[in-house]
Amino acid sequence: MTEHDHDHDHDHDRTVAPMVDEITDFEVLEIALRELCIEKGIFSAEEHRLMTEFAEQIGPTPAAHLVAKAWLDPKFKELALAEPMTASKEVGVDWLHPTGWGTPSDFTAFQILADTPTVHNVIVCALCSCYPRPILGNSPEWYRTPNYRRRLVRWPRQVLAEFGLYLSDEITVHVQDSNQKHRFMVMPMRPEGTDDWTEDQLVEILTRDCLIGVALPKAGVTTNMITDTRPAIHPGNAG
Amino acid sequence: MSERIEALQEIVARDQVWSRMAAKWGVENPVPPWKTSLDGMCDALDNAACDADIPTFKERRDEEDELTATVYSDLPYPENQLVSLAHSLVARGVIDEAELKERLASIRKRLEA
Repeated sequence: MTEHDHDHDHDHDRTVAPMVDEITDFEVLEIALRELCIEKGIFSAEEHRLMTEFAEQIGPTPAAHLVAKAWLDPKFKELALAEPMTASKEVGVDWLHPTGWGTPSDFTAFQILADTPTVHNVIVCALCSCYPRPILGNSPEWYRTPNYRRRLVRWPRQVLAEFGLYLSDEITVHVQDSNQKHRFMVMPMRPEGTDDWTEDQLVEILTRDCLIGVALPKAGVTTNMITDTRPAIHPGNAG
Repeated sequence: MSERIEALQEIVARDQVWSRMAAKWGVENPVPPWKTSLDGMCDALDNAACDADIPTFKERRDEEDELTATVYSDLPYPENQLVSLAHSLVARGVIDEAELKERLASIRKRLEA
């Protein structure tokens, strides 16, 4: 290599992010299941690609914008609570055709639960893991666990406290159970210290956890709680 | 449903879970790259309309809950989700275990070529 070879305009410090340069059994298993299902005609490669693209592009940002808009505009809040499907379209989510080509699940109803000074809402799916995916993205791991699903409906204050959310006895906790036909999200109250904030500033504190109801938005807090997921205990094996 | 499936037990024993692999290679992604493809596969299965004994959405999740709490309780998420799905499909006869073993070997050979 001569000195001349280095006389060009590129950044020697620029490197690609590290990657796992090894074939893992789980990667192989995922491909194997997919290929066998496609070969057996259970679903097509095209259907799988479209579903995967949906899974890759969803996240909590549309839901955060919806709540931020509602905080800034009382008329939009009215719309969000009365016609949540219409309000969702204003943040780019069409519940009937969330992917533009169809729906990945058969939910038919979506409702936004507004917190008040005396009522706090939190969502769960006691049966499985139904979640408002088109507007809130994929559910976190803990949301899927039997631990959260079983215990939230019985001991909501204790479970919320495990997320660091302690509510006074004057506040009623409303646990809303999702099901195959109904999806819900929480509209928390606007916190203090955000009076002159723009929509984008408000969006930053409207984390996924706030929209599930296991956290409250707070100026300066822009990340979700990292929850140490407990392993499920199968009732048949317990004690 | 809780009967052990040899091909999957071998995968569990090798323990190439994402947390371990990511740490080994210095990768910070919280989930493995195959996760969204698995999500797409679950959605595609939930929408499948064919004669095979495909679990419904509720059956799939119930079986996943049962298997992750028992046979695959040592695996973290989302590896336990993937292996439970494989277990359900084999236990229901949608995929034959010998066919799965053969395919695992041929895919690994292809990827390592």
